[in-house]
Amino acid sequence: MPQLGETVSEGTLTIWHKSVGDEVTANEVLFEIGTDKVEMEVPAPTSGVLKEIRVDAGETVGVGTILAVIDDGSAPAAAETPAAKVAPAAAPAQPQRQSAPSRDKSLKLSPVVRKLLAENNLQPGQITGTGRDGRIKRGDVLAFLKGTPAAPAARPTPMPASSGDGRTVVPFNRRRQMTAEHMVRSKATSAHVLQAVEVDFSNVDAARKRAGSKWKAKEGFSLSYLPFIAKAVCDAIAEFPKINAHVEGENLVAFDAVNLAIAVDLDFEGLVAPVVRDAGSMAVVDLARAINDIAARARRDALGPDDFQGATYTISNNGTFGTLITAPIINQPQVAILSTDAVIKKPVAVVVDGTDAVAVRPVGVLAQSFDHRAIDGAYSAAFLRRLKDIIETREWAAAVP
Amino acid sequence: MAKKAKSKAPAKSGKGRGAARLNDDIGEEKRLEMFQMQLEVRLLENRANDLFLQNLVKGTIHLSVGMEAVAAGCGAAMRKNDYTFCTYRGHAHTMVRGAPMTGVLGELMGRECGLLNGKGGSMHLTSVEHGAMGSYAIIGAHLPIAVGAAWSAQYRGSGQVSVCFFGDGATNIGAFHEALNMAAIWKLPVVFVCENNLYMEYTPIADVIPVEHPAADRASAYGMDQILVDGNDPDAVFRVARDAIEMARAGDGPSIIEAKTYRHLGHSRADPGTYRPPEEIEEWKKRDPIPMYRKRLLDYGVTEKTVSGIEDAVMKALDEATEEAKASPVPALELGHTEVWADGGSAWRN
Amino acid sequence: MAELTYREAVAAAIAQEMRRDENVVFLGEDVADAGGVFKTTVGLLDEFGPLRVRDTPISEQAIVGAAMGAAMTGLRPIAEIMFSDFFAVCWDIITNQIAKSRYMTNGQVALPLVIRTANGGGVRFGAQHSQSLENWAMMVPGLKVVAPSTPADIKGLLAAAIRDPDPVIFFEQKSLYGNKGEVPEGEHVDELGIAKIVRPGDDVTILALAAMVPRALEAAEILAAEDGIGANVIDVRSLVPLDTKTILAEVSRTGRVVTVEENPRLCGWGAELSSIISEECFYDLDMPIVRITTPHVPLPAADDLEDHAIPSVSRIVETIRREVD
Repeated sequence: MPQLGETVSEGTLTIWHKSVGDEVTANEVLFEIGTDKVEMEVPAPTSGVLKEIRVDAGETVGVGTILAVIDDGSAPAAAETPAAKVAPAAAPAQPQRQSAPSRDKSLKLSPVVRKLLAENNLQPGQITGTGRDGRIKRGDVLAFLKGTPAAPAARPTPMPASSGDGRTVVPFNRRRQMTAEHMVRSKATSAHVLQAVEVDFSNVDAARKRAGSKWKAKEGFSLSYLPFIAKAVCDAIAEFPKINAHVEGENLVAFDAVNLAIAVDLDFEGLVAPVVRDAGSMAVVDLARAINDIAARARRDALGPDDFQGATYTISNNGTFGTLITAPIINQPQVAILSTDAVIKKPVAVVVDGTDAVAVRPVGVLAQSFDHRAIDGAYSAAFLRRLKDIIETREWAAAVP
Repeated sequence: MAKKAKSKAPAKSGKGRGAARLNDDIGEEKRLEMFQMQLEVRLLENRANDLFLQNLVKGTIHLSVGMEAVAAGCGAAMRKNDYTFCTYRGHAHTMVRGAPMTGVLGELMGRECGLLNGKGGSMHLTSVEHGAMGSYAIIGAHLPIAVGAAWSAQYRGSGQVSVCFFGDGATNIGAFHEALNMAAIWKLPVVFVCENNLYMEYTPIADVIPVEHPAADRASAYGMDQILVDGNDPDAVFRVARDAIEMARAGDGPSIIEAKTYRHLGHSRADPGTYRPPEEIEEWKKRDPIPMYRKRLLDYGVTEKTVSGIEDAVMKALDEATEEAKASPVPALELGHTEVWADGGSAWRN
Repeated sequence: MAELTYREAVAAAIAQEMRRDENVVFLGEDVADAGGVFKTTVGLLDEFGPLRVRDTPISEQAIVGAAMGAAMTGLRPIAEIMFSDFFAVCWDIITNQIAKSRYMTNGQVALPLVIRTANGGGVRFGAQHSQSLENWAMMVPGLKVVAPSTPADIKGLLAAAIRDPDPVIFFEQKSLYGNKGEVPEGEHVDELGIAKIVRPGDDVTILALAAMVPRALEAAEILAAEDGIGANVIDVRSLVPLDTKTILAEVSRTGRVVTVEENPRLCGWGAELSSIISEECFYDLDMPIVRITTPHVPLPAADDLEDHAIPSVSRIVETIRREVD
């Protein structure tokens, strides 16, 4: 059993791709392991015959446990290669990135292909490779891009063919299964309560305007509302520490550092929530870069197990979907989760020279689901009011170049 | 820039037999010039030695202490627009053409005021404006180059002569033979001057040549005369050099002169010279050209006042040059990227 | 336009420059009376006389040394080294003296000289008379390096080299001496440091030099006709100064690059270009850089052995078919 993260001491073998007695080829997928955050395909270290399976699917064992034995035709001692050697011994955070290219030539991505995929938020799986052995060539990515509508509207991957009787069966893939399990468990665990505030993002817009196209040209991505919201969340948490907490048994355990999980949608292929560690110590511009980095890595399938460890609060950024409000499901074992929805121009009541008037402002709803086992509505509401206040009144323009 | 010391003596002086000898084909003025040339070289090189011990002169230096008479005698026989080429032991040959002391010391100390702005170092002293066309650190390489300068002078009909200095060791390397041969067959205006100080670096020259005189006995192979001269007597060197230079200038072809001399110090600053017998060194030191010439000047009737006046002036000029060189900054880092090409830059791509 | 052979273009360039500037002089072994062992300098002695066109003894060090001394003192000499293999005999003068004197004297010394030489194999002369040594010259700071592939480029680039104020090592590929080509009439002067796109294409960039250029072009025709691969052939022409702008732009555009070099495997000019490309065009590459070179052996003499060693049209075609997908 390989080590999936620095602090991880065990792992679950989830699926066997081969049975005892099967022929096995080196680098062919042999089995899968996982935690509730990450799953990993493990290739066979050598060719031969799968002689023995020692750990069944669904079992959880300690790191270093021998999972199976392959007979590669050489001396018995050599055949008993411990499965712990299967994952690269160095950099436990690497496995997801390395296993794919090494075992399958069609996933050899050239520098220009990687660049084009990253720039356009694409995954290799979306592109049909027409190079040797199915390799994705530059031309293949360019052809794909010509056929897609302009960003930001990402298209979901097409439905599989209908089975012909008025039904189309779409089996849950691994990620879907894990998400399903987590969502249901969360709802069954926490006493979810939803609270929301409407926030005027004028000051944030001033800062984004100030950063302008220079920002995108220099950094390679646009400056969205999210980093500002994240910064305000961290500052508000400083005054309301019980928001930044886990429920452990009958205890609320609050944390000093804010490890902010950002839920990232993988273009309709599932959700992941990688973590920006110690977000409270970062400035807005650094948060922007960090969030962009984990989102890009998530889309490239380049996250490691450490990217999912230790989250204390989660933001689910639904603003790009254009919705008014979302009731998010808490990321267990955290105590609360914030949804950010669309920021659009709305008429608001303002006071001008002592008289009521109507102005048009960029407004968005921030909605928090909290666990009523651990905190009450008044506390959560106070946190939300403070969050709104910070976003609306801070001179954000001073924080950007 | 420190000025060169100037002789304050009148053109003629002395009486009796000395006066007749003084005012001969060489003359007093030329003699005083040669005395001053030797003194400048000797005092500067001793100063360079001191500066080396103070860690102000870096790397290594090749000194010609004891050999100054050859450079002085030849230098005095040249015209301003003649060309000289010399070896890495070239401080003397560069200075006798008129290169300033500040520039020489500055280059040895790696300063901006150096003749080469600190980029070449002791072994490559060059002053094209004075006709000193380079000091060369690969044995023998500059002989064909000197031949090229002579070819150029002949082609242009300018009357210039190329004088090329090298040591006894160079007479065994291929380029020596190629250069002499080409100079001879094209009848080029070049004078080859071999300073035979009896040792090629650490090996006695006698061990590595099959004839007695390393340069003079190879001359006939190239159709040139055997010319041997006492390299510690500037007057003797002057006469021989003058004749060879005039012959070349007249279009009568190249010569090779072998001047026998001796260096008091090792091959380079790092060499204590222990491969030479102490008695040999002592014998040659007794024939130190500068004290010998000083005595001759006095014998010929030059006054003590004149002679010590020159000595004082040279020392003063040297002290000024030393201070000037010390005060000069190290070269700017940008200089490291300049003057690879004629446009002043070093770009190999666009 | 006149049609000249590659060898005739050499004499034409030298004559053009000698007529223009009386400081241009020329020396070498068997260059005057005999017009050169490869007949590259026929007619020059007749037109310019024995003072300007000089036969020398077999003395490579004296030849290039004299060129240096003459260049330092007001002339613009052209020196011939009969076979580039003989550079080894006078490499001290070229690399220690000529390449360095300007820099060491911080600009006191001027060296407007050209050393031209017959380079390369393919004519069964054996290992000591067949080397391609432009890579030797490329790696010494202070030398400009040119290697033309056509008669027009010989004339234009040799004229430019003679007019250049810096030392230029001019490599003529002996296997090309008989090739004919169109050369502009009248005064023709090209420019150092400019690479030429000799065949446009979108699929793969081929970088070639000297005798490898016509082979690359022939291979490109076959690849277009039989495989539908559009090769973009660049004649590098000048190694120092190097036209990195053109080369990198074309490599970025096609995303694929192949070099064709007559140098042995290690440290050929293509190795340096590969290094520059991988450093500066990495994110535009759709496949690894491929180098087609002579193997790392001295060149054999027998027909088939030599032809097998030096990159041939079929080896270029097969390599590109195999590596480009």
